Amino acid sequence: MEWNIVLETLSTQGMKLLKEHLILVGIALSIGIIIALPLSILLTRYPFKKWTKEILSFLNTAQGVPSLAVVAIFLPIMGVGFVPSVIALTLYGLLPIVRNTIAGINDVDDDILEAAKGMGMSNKMILRKVELPLALPVIIAGIQTSAVLTVGTATIAVLIGGGGLGNLIFTGISTFNPALILTGSIMTAAIAIILDQSIGFLQKRLSSHRG
Amino acid sequence: MSVVNYFIKNIDKIWRFTVNHFILIVLAICAALLIWVSVGIVIRNNEKLANGILGFGSLMMSIPSIALYGILVTVPGFGLSRRSAVFGLLLYSMLPIVRNVYIALNQVDKSILEAAKGMGMSSKQILFKVQLPLAIPVILAGVRVAVVMMVGIATLAVYIGERNLGSLIEQGIRRTHFDMIMVGAVLVSMMAIAIDLLMGKLENKLVSPGLVSEDKGDKVVS
Repeated sequence: MEWNIVLETLSTQGMKLLKEHLILVGIALSIGIIIALPLSILLTRYPFKKWTKEILSFLNTAQGVPSLAVVAIFLPIMGVGFVPSVIALTLYGLLPIVRNTIAGINDVDDDILEAAKGMGMSNKMILRKVELPLALPVIIAGIQTSAVLTVGTATIAVLIGGGGLGNLIFTGISTFNPALILTGSIMTAAIAIILDQSIGFLQKRLSSHRG
Repeated sequence: MSVVNYFIKNIDKIWRFTVNHFILIVLAICAALLIWVSVGIVIRNNEKLANGILGFGSLMMSIPSIALYGILVTVPGFGLSRRSAVFGLLLYSMLPIVRNVYIALNQVDKSILEAAKGMGMSSKQILFKVQLPLAIPVILAGVRVAVVMMVGIATLAVYIGERNLGSLIEQGIRRTHFDMIMVGAVLVSMMAIAIDLLMGKLENKLVSPGLVSEDKGDKVVS
């Protein structure tokens, strides 16, 4: 193992790569959530609701497109760099959030909705006070999936000039330097796990007082 | 239509890549079914062990796939070989399959199990004749997720020496060859979708007709 190379790389580029990775994931995930939540709530409302089943099966299928392909397809269309990487990551991260939000809201028991309606709640109130709180665990699970997926996929973004920790991994693979691969992998995995755990913690905090 | 031209011109090479890709997936899914379904069965009555195993599975999921391959290559005995590729896919498929087997087996109604016991069935008979048949829809949902994921992740195995559909994408990126990327991406996606549809058909065949109207357990996989 070439630990001195690793130490040198880390001391010169470590912080920069870590920061690039975090920014890439942070921006892609935030845009993903901002787009996905309203979109999927809209898809559970009246005129669109009847297509829910089709939309869900389409989303499940779309998840089958490999991340490498998603990232690669953006290369010819948008060129290399940070922006194409963010767009590719956002698009890939959208699916789990949309899928879970739609599934979560539609899973809310019809009896509960009827009870809420009977109590004189408006549609808006039902959404805000009944459907969303009940669907929250499923929605957050979707965001967790999306976060882990995005952190992992961001390592591939280096191939189209997105930067980030993938740099260490791919340099390690092409120069056959195990230490470099391990360092990059462990750092990426650590980000994924920390992000996953803290979103899970947040979910527990958000829904605990509702018994 | 340069994409189509590229496809026709290189049909031999593309076919080789496709077959390679498919063989890798089949090897991995066979190993995964054998190992992870048994693991799921073993841990079904042991919550502590199950928590540990499922925790390990989700840890594997958190490691980016390219990193997992990268790590495996450095392990002595694996190296740049198909073994690393299969093993990586195996680790990745752990969570969806084991989790669904475990949940499905435990979801079987307690009163059904008691009835089976009352009829004098041994615990082995209960497992094979009652629990597993009832659990098949949820188990298959997990397997489907795993297979679709495998088809995608297998493209990354090109970086550790596999020669499959990922090669088209990888070389396409390196040479900024749009047609190559498109052909690779479309074929891989088509393979994932086709396998998923096939498994859906298989599911309809395998699941006893009395269970069809029930919830297929899609919710378990989130």
